[in-house]
Amino acid sequence: MSEQRQLRLVVNGEVRTGQVEPRKLLVDFLREDLGLTGTHVGCEHGICGACTILVNGEAARSCLMLAVQADGAELLTVEGLAREGRLHPLQDAFWEHHGLQCGFCTPGMLIAAYDLLQTNPTPTEEEIRAGLSAVLCRCTGYHGIVRAVQAAAECLRGGEE
Amino acid sequence: MKPSPFIYHDPTSIEEALALLQHYSGDAKVLAGGQSLMPLLNFRLSAPTALVDINRIAALSYIQQEAGQLRIGALTRQRTLEFSALVREHLPLLYEATTLVGHLPIRTRGTIGGSLAHADPAAEYPAVATVMEAELVVQGPKSQRILRPEEFFLGYLTTALASDEVLVEVRFPIPPPTSGWAFVEFARRHGDFALVGIAALLDAEGEQCRRARLATAGVGPTPVRLRAAEQILEHEGLTEQSIEAAAVRAAELVEPQSDLHASTDFRRHLTQVLTRRALRQAKARSQERQG
Amino acid sequence: MEQFTPKLVGARVKRREDRRLLTGQGAYTDDHRPSGLLYAAFLRSPYAHARIVRLDPAAARSLAGVATVMTGEELARLVKPVRAGSNMRDYKTTSWPPLAVGKVRHVGEAVAVVVAESRYLAEDALEQIDVDYEPLPTVADAQAASEPQAALLHEEVGTNVLLTRQFAQGEVDAAIAGAEVRVRERFRFHRHAAICMENRGCLAEYHAGTGALTLRSATQCPGLLRDVLADLLDLPEHCVRVVAADVGGGFGAKSSLYPEELTLCAITRLLARPVKWISDRREDLLTSTQAWDEVVEAELALRADGTIVGLRAEVTTDIGAYSIYPWTATVEPVQTISFLPGPYRVPHYRGRTRGVATCKAPLGPYRGVGRPITTFVMEGLMDRAARRLGMDPVELRLRNYIREEEFPYKTPSGIVWDQASLTACMHKAREALDYEATRQWQRQAREEGRWVGIGFATYIELTGVGSAIPVSPGMPISTGTEAAFIRVDPSGTVTAAFSVAPQGQGHETALAQVVADALGVSFQDVRVICGDTAVAPHGTGTYASRSAVLAGGAAILAGRALREKTLQIAGHLLETNPADLDIQDGRIFVRGKLERGIPFREIARAAYGGLRRLPKDMEPGLEVTRFYDPYYGTASSATHVAVVEVDRETYEVKIHRYVVVEDCGRIINPLIVEGQVRGGVAQGIGAALYEEVVYDEEGQLLTGTLMDYLVPTAAELIPIEVHHLETPSPTTLGGFRGMGEGGTIGAPAAIANAVSDALSPLGIEITELPITPERLFRLMRGTNELS
Repeated sequence: MSEQRQLRLVVNGEVRTGQVEPRKLLVDFLREDLGLTGTHVGCEHGICGACTILVNGEAARSCLMLAVQADGAELLTVEGLAREGRLHPLQDAFWEHHGLQCGFCTPGMLIAAYDLLQTNPTPTEEEIRAGLSAVLCRCTGYHGIVRAVQAAAECLRGGEE
Repeated sequence: MKPSPFIYHDPTSIEEALALLQHYSGDAKVLAGGQSLMPLLNFRLSAPTALVDINRIAALSYIQQEAGQLRIGALTRQRTLEFSALVREHLPLLYEATTLVGHLPIRTRGTIGGSLAHADPAAEYPAVATVMEAELVVQGPKSQRILRPEEFFLGYLTTALASDEVLVEVRFPIPPPTSGWAFVEFARRHGDFALVGIAALLDAEGEQCRRARLATAGVGPTPVRLRAAEQILEHEGLTEQSIEAAAVRAAELVEPQSDLHASTDFRRHLTQVLTRRALRQAKARSQERQG
Repeated sequence: MEQFTPKLVGARVKRREDRRLLTGQGAYTDDHRPSGLLYAAFLRSPYAHARIVRLDPAAARSLAGVATVMTGEELARLVKPVRAGSNMRDYKTTSWPPLAVGKVRHVGEAVAVVVAESRYLAEDALEQIDVDYEPLPTVADAQAASEPQAALLHEEVGTNVLLTRQFAQGEVDAAIAGAEVRVRERFRFHRHAAICMENRGCLAEYHAGTGALTLRSATQCPGLLRDVLADLLDLPEHCVRVVAADVGGGFGAKSSLYPEELTLCAITRLLARPVKWISDRREDLLTSTQAWDEVVEAELALRADGTIVGLRAEVTTDIGAYSIYPWTATVEPVQTISFLPGPYRVPHYRGRTRGVATCKAPLGPYRGVGRPITTFVMEGLMDRAARRLGMDPVELRLRNYIREEEFPYKTPSGIVWDQASLTACMHKAREALDYEATRQWQRQAREEGRWVGIGFATYIELTGVGSAIPVSPGMPISTGTEAAFIRVDPSGTVTAAFSVAPQGQGHETALAQVVADALGVSFQDVRVICGDTAVAPHGTGTYASRSAVLAGGAAILAGRALREKTLQIAGHLLETNPADLDIQDGRIFVRGKLERGIPFREIARAAYGGLRRLPKDMEPGLEVTRFYDPYYGTASSATHVAVVEVDRETYEVKIHRYVVVEDCGRIINPLIVEGQVRGGVAQGIGAALYEEVVYDEEGQLLTGTLMDYLVPTAAELIPIEVHHLETPSPTTLGGFRGMGEGGTIGAPAAIANAVSDALSPLGIEITELPITPERLFRLMRGTNELS
């Protein structure tokens, strides 16, 4: 079997270390080695977006990265969105606007929405829909999700972070 | 859907990477952004002995303006291109095409060099490189060579890159400031590979067309330059009739494949429709820039 | 018995599930990682139909990290094969071994399983299993499969036609022959996949010391699984526990027993170590039950004034390789002829159906079962008839709906509709759309050369089915009841457990609303537990739009019983006649004298406290289990309207507006109801425009990735306008009607009719879904030749 690699990275503000086979996918490392099961595996070919996390501040598919590639990186997963027990405005808005049903796509959807709003704080509905097309949801028809992102954008513009 | 075992290398210099590729003589794969290779590894459709991960080679990531060109390091992320002021100002066609590559989380990792080297004929960048007559800088263990897109793209997922070579830079000539451009594509869903894409670049003055360039995505094993259609515009100018004639000609020039999502005939039909749309848009932009 | 006076029921209560799901704290099957865990991977057939000549697992077994490799023959010694029986007359029962024995019948069928220390190692070992197949003729098409010379999938029954059935009423041939107007069409509804965002998966744990087997599974039906697993594994049922905690979508595809569940249970018993299998997306596309795949030839006859006189139809359903448990292969084909007349008065009717086995993944129930296609067919015929008659499609529908005074209405197939708001839904839809203005806009747009159209679809849907009707025809188990177990804890909080098991429908919130109202306590004090057979009373699960009706009804019964006992204890403590007492917000008080009362928690303490705090002879405790059976069930209905435009050049269909007017009776939580409707419509739009499972002639799946099977994204959908009528069901407790499936039923028909309307100047009518740009292109060219 191939050699193990040491890695050290920052996840949700905490330094974490691990030892992995190079072929291990980042999402498996997060879930199995770090116990961060909030990030989900949905397709392992980059289409569904359930595994989307922030890598050095930018949304990326954690099923299309090897864990070893995240050595030295800073990651944010759904577990790191809330701060000191206070939900992020996106989480609040998803709750308020029924932006989730089964919840499986939700972690990836939240992270994709987070990245969308940091690159475009005043998106139109069309831009939100285009941005969120990065993540598939089978339950909601996206209606509540789009409304939630609109509401969160407004809230974040109001400086209520 | 977990990758087969492989030996993993993450060199920090191009020289190191080239030495590794030479060492494995064809049994190693270069891992750039990974947005195409990783799915292949996960499906076990690709199971190389070794992976040479070039993501830690900082020297491969840059955007520089030089001698009427933008020189872009092969490892430059698509996301970086999307938010680059230089790209937006000088290569608006590349910018427009970039926004159509997958989705933002894909562009975060995906690189320009990776997309070109993967050579998926339905992808945007091969068509852009073709229409802009970009230069592809290929580094081998001993020497460097500069290829034109026609020389680089050899077939479906096939390029002129030897197993010990790496694409290191793409050089885009900066078009004249009054040129018009368009990248239009038709995909079933937002972010999907296009059934057909058309890249257009016009160097025009009024309805006079000094140079017209058209290239396709999705209608053959490689991007196709539609030279006969370009000539119609260069000879007859940018009138509605000549645009229509060029669009009709474009559809005749392509030999699209038939697959699950579209037949040969439909792709040919779309080639005509999208060529017309691309030319109209490029013409309008050119006229706008001429004031 | 006191009135059920809702307070929380009807309120837009934010879901209580959401906090954990929004913060990454959900507990899906794959999130469990007990110590000693092993991982399973299945070797799957690359052939559609082949004999297994040789299967050699030796090399795989010898790999480091591999705990075991098991073949079909070895597994067959540990479990009985699945036999989905039915007492329907013309149905042939077939067997389904959990791992193939002797031969494979579809690509992706499991032939062996590897259990190893990681999924990575298990997949490595799969590559070391040596199998020789001898290919057999592929049975790829239902029509060809039903011919006498076709190769047989299940030799023991002598035919690929596993079922036939007919429903008839009146003299349909004579009625149609004598009618003034006849419209006839062949409709094709392609194969569809549920695509739950969470793939299937399960985790089996066997405790050798106690003999207890626990299966955690991404299933809709933990109760149903427990019953059948005990039987097939020959285990005492009290030793079997099935848990479905958080489940990431189901839509019917997680309602059947799957081979992997059975395999893992058998293997964990053998190894006495926990074993997990999580389907990857490729396996999901190859093996999860698929939907529809039907051809319907139908003819509708009307009088010149538009009154329907007769309808006849021949249905052929491609049921795939196996008959699934417990629903059997009858579920789709028989529902189709059962529901075809839809919301209309059809005096003469005959529907004939047959289900034909082919080399494809098994067909199973999927959101709407039968009704998405019957609505597509019937509403398509109605629009064709309207065009022939020169009548407005809305007027034609209004003329033929079952009228309010005709309820309860018995259909030709014997279903009884208790009541439905057919005419009212259409009136409200017309108003919400502003029908006249929209037609005016259409006329203008047409003058500009645009292809725009308006499409209507009305459906009626049997929901909350009780014991009088099997959910699937002839199936051997009853699905007509559900139960609620409610315990008032000594501190006054309430724990309510149900066998229904949601996959996103918000039962923990909606059922807490019902319990809180029935009992008279606050929402915060009620906790609902679903999907754990160790806690829940006996039941089956969440499917067939039944949970609000059956579990809701059971919650009302149990809540009332506890309320009654609470009042008796309170009457004793307050020295008052219980009849003079009321409960609100967790306090019991004398009616009209709010100040004279006692907190609910005092009653709870008293119930468990003994020592003269209870009335003489009263049994201590405050917990109860109540079963509810709605007997026939109830009807839900809706009218959907789509306004679309077809791009004249690319043939892409754009939806401009989508309006739903629905009546699901008393609404428990409008937030959840609207979410279900919109989600259902999105799946229906997917079916109408994007999604299609494609197999080639060799039985190879061409749509084996999410790049090829096209689930709509946010960018393809638009805001869906939802309006409610709220007519309480006259037959169910609480007045609830089921509504989880409806959105998917109406949308394909509404979109298809809108596209046909848009293209009516060209004489093009939609007969085949999904309406892809490629299909429209070919229709325009008047050819079906694909170059």
